[in-house]
Amino acid sequence: MDWFYIKGILILSGINLMAVLGLSLLTGFTGLFSFGHAGFMAIGAYVTAMMTIKFHLPFIPSLLIGAMGAALASLFIGRLTLNLKGDYFCIATLGFGEAIRLILDNVQYFGGARGWPGIPMYTNLTNVVILDIIGIAILVNLIRSRHGRNMKAIREEEMASQTIGINVFRYKMIALAISAAFAGVAGGMLGHYLGFLQPKMFQLIKSTELTIIVIFGGLGSISGSVIGALVLTSLPELLRTFAKWRLVVYGVAVVFIMITRPQGLMGGYEITAGNIKKLISRLASFGRPRQQTIGGDKE
Amino acid sequence: MSKRVVLLALATLLTLSLTLAGCSKPADTPAESKEPEVVKVGWIGSLTGDQAVWGTCELNTVKMLFEDINKNGGLLGKQIEVVGYDTRGDATEAVNAVKRLTSQDKVVAVIGPNASGQAISISAVLEEMKVPDIATVATNPKVTVVDGKTKPFNFRVCFIDPYQGAVAAGYAYDVLGFKKAAILYDVADDYSQGLTEFFEKYFVEKGGEIVAKEAFKFGDVDFRPQLSKIKNAGPEVIFMPYFFKEVALSANQARELGINAVLMGGDGWPSEVLLEMAKDAIEGSYFVNHLDFDDPDVQEFKAAYKAKYNLPVELNGYLAYDAVQLLVDAIKRANSFDPVAIRDALETAQVKGITGQINISKDTHNPEGKDAAIIKIVDGQYVFQQKYSAK
Amino acid sequence: MSAFFQQLINGLSIGSVYALMAVGYSLVYSIMNFSNFAHGGVIMIGAYIGFFSMTAFKLPFTAAFCFAAFGAGILAVAIERIAYSPLRKRNAPFLYFIISAMGVSIFLENIIIASPIGPTFRTYPRVFSAAPFNIGGVNIGRLDVTMFLISAISLAVLVFIIEKTRTGMGIRASAYSLRASALMGVNTDRIILIVFGMGGFLAGIAGILFGMKYTVYPQIGNITIKSFIAAVFGGLGSLPGAVIGSVLLGIIETFTSGYLSSQFRDLIAFVLLIFILVVRPKGLMGKITEDKA
Repeated sequence: MDWFYIKGILILSGINLMAVLGLSLLTGFTGLFSFGHAGFMAIGAYVTAMMTIKFHLPFIPSLLIGAMGAALASLFIGRLTLNLKGDYFCIATLGFGEAIRLILDNVQYFGGARGWPGIPMYTNLTNVVILDIIGIAILVNLIRSRHGRNMKAIREEEMASQTIGINVFRYKMIALAISAAFAGVAGGMLGHYLGFLQPKMFQLIKSTELTIIVIFGGLGSISGSVIGALVLTSLPELLRTFAKWRLVVYGVAVVFIMITRPQGLMGGYEITAGNIKKLISRLASFGRPRQQTIGGDKE
Repeated sequence: MSKRVVLLALATLLTLSLTLAGCSKPADTPAESKEPEVVKVGWIGSLTGDQAVWGTCELNTVKMLFEDINKNGGLLGKQIEVVGYDTRGDATEAVNAVKRLTSQDKVVAVIGPNASGQAISISAVLEEMKVPDIATVATNPKVTVVDGKTKPFNFRVCFIDPYQGAVAAGYAYDVLGFKKAAILYDVADDYSQGLTEFFEKYFVEKGGEIVAKEAFKFGDVDFRPQLSKIKNAGPEVIFMPYFFKEVALSANQARELGINAVLMGGDGWPSEVLLEMAKDAIEGSYFVNHLDFDDPDVQEFKAAYKAKYNLPVELNGYLAYDAVQLLVDAIKRANSFDPVAIRDALETAQVKGITGQINISKDTHNPEGKDAAIIKIVDGQYVFQQKYSAK
Repeated sequence: MSAFFQQLINGLSIGSVYALMAVGYSLVYSIMNFSNFAHGGVIMIGAYIGFFSMTAFKLPFTAAFCFAAFGAGILAVAIERIAYSPLRKRNAPFLYFIISAMGVSIFLENIIIASPIGPTFRTYPRVFSAAPFNIGGVNIGRLDVTMFLISAISLAVLVFIIEKTRTGMGIRASAYSLRASALMGVNTDRIILIVFGMGGFLAGIAGILFGMKYTVYPQIGNITIKSFIAAVFGGLGSLPGAVIGSVLLGIIETFTSGYLSSQFRDLIAFVLLIFILVVRPKGLMGKITEDKA
């Protein structure tokens, strides 16, 4: 297989991974389920592109501004919707994602639905890998902190967490903002990888794919997200020769994984980053509600 | 414990399948010195997703034509293999597909895709791998020229949005004598937005008035709210720059609401399905097309396609046909399968295709001076009116 | 003035299409507490069954109608057995159900594209005349009236089953609490199958009517996104809520297009949705459930 092609898949896996990491925090560690992450990616992508093209900023600061843009939008939308439960939140974010796309379709400054060509191609394998590692490091540190334990407590028993004095709303907000920022960075990288942006790229199906990766990798497992992003980004490529049967196989695979291994690939397991030599899979406490007490991650 | 095993097994599986996929290709180590017996030509486009109807027709056409060429002794003595990949209509997938075509399959040229978004996003890959691409119906001007710079490896066989918009506006105003037009367009579609922009621009420039401009969003099936509003504005002609499924639905609904204005559209219209779905509603309508369907040159292809696939040819099939003609001509004149030589030959191509004379301009990589055909629907038939070109 | 009434009719007609889809979806939600994203796929299959019954097998409309409804009902039950029941047995969180449903929906759409049926758009033979009724300058399509009547009858039958029969009592009890009803001796497994069957039945009806009014193609299931939103408007799990939410969404969309901006229609509808949810987090008539653990 040609390196040029593999490199492309790896870059794309890395970009997806960035968005998935954020979504993994939101879904896997606080139990919120978003269908609007493509919307956050879109905001990040367009803001980043605006910074590099219209304001001639370097790539990394632009990415950070893009991430901030997505996080700001998430604060706004989170204020209104984070009190909603389950599917209500899910549909509200779905509507948000579609609304963002509709706005971008109408804004001729960014080319509207016709898209925005000529974005500098700054994204390469090196900076994707570096950014992913930074992203993973931030997330691991966050999860191991007091805040991370509080988030997990919210996922397991929202009501009980509230009673023992965890500010549930605030933590959900933080999780949403961080995950939106990650999605924003992913969007910024995507735009500067393709050199082209079009609202069509951020359809509902994109949000769905990200969520499927998180669940596939295993809720609450960062190593699961990494493997999930790699496997599920490559899978459609490996199936390429199946032509039109490709997505049929993909659909079957998703259902199959759900019914045979609903905790996902790495549900409940984590490959600790510090111990590469041994590559120990550590039995972590999360992902197994029944044997679990609040904040039981003894770290 | 067992979970670790499953994980390991999966990881191994992935590695293996990646390796296998790599190995399954013929190992062409001494590649450059000895040309392989079979030369590959790539195609990308939608085989799944919303655009699958058009993409499938393109791939069918490309495959059929090269099968014929192979039967007649191939090209420069070589057999041609068509490698077609699905893009789901997604720009990212298009980039992946072209990366695979150019690096792993080592195609000499790519035909497709059928949408501008994908055609624009693949150009960086084409430039890096130095393989030319001939887009079929990517009508956005930026597919070949961005900021005044011509992309070295992007070509196309269709005319572009500004031209088509100008033709439609010119024909409506100058020939049909309409002064008041309404536009209904798909706000989420690049093709529809492009055509709307240029129709509006030229129609107003000529002195016409746009009395209503309403939008819907891709995936909608009901247009009566917008059409009711358009009805009140009292246009003489309604411009509908989108694809035939929506055209059929909106035309039927317009008639149901008692709108009698003439309907007009672009190259998203032609299809047998349109006649099937909205025969009465579109009676007397006009649209801008790439060719006259009754042209004797076209009949042979239409019949052959129908015989082979038992499906009618969609418009994309004709442009895919011409893309193949263009490529074959370029390969013959280059007398080589070297992608860069093919590119150079494409820059000076002059081919008579079934959609008209295609003279590729070196400056824009577009077919210049290609006349548009105006088609009117009369008694449920596509009746050619005249060749029309916008000044 | 007639323009206003025309838009009102348009909105009601669009709303009743949403309602037909939203009810089946809401019915499943009331028992299972998850969004059955495969509902759109079932509607699509129903539309194809109806289409081929009428074209390939030359059956009359009524027969095609029954085939579509029962075929879709069977399909919905099969989906429950294959994709949800193993999750149910494991007490998996609702997330997994949703993902599984999405897998099913991806599969259904693409199996049609990949099969010999292909991605082509299919048109139903014309059963009802296209000429509309004209009442005081307002045009009302015949098919719209027919659709409205069929929807109303199916909903009435559904309400009768739920309110007046023993099975219906079981459904209501299970909707209140699946676990408690199981403890009280309700065969919840059977209830779930019946509910999926009825949901599929409604999806089949929606499919054939939708196919006749518009057209048939593999992506028609996507339109159900709108009916999900409508169901949230009305309150998930509530059948009257689904109907009211759908009609409301239809009218809001129509009047937004007609009097504000068709370019930003969905944006305005979305803002309204958020507004309703902020005021009433369970929608207009949402059922009150305890938090899902």
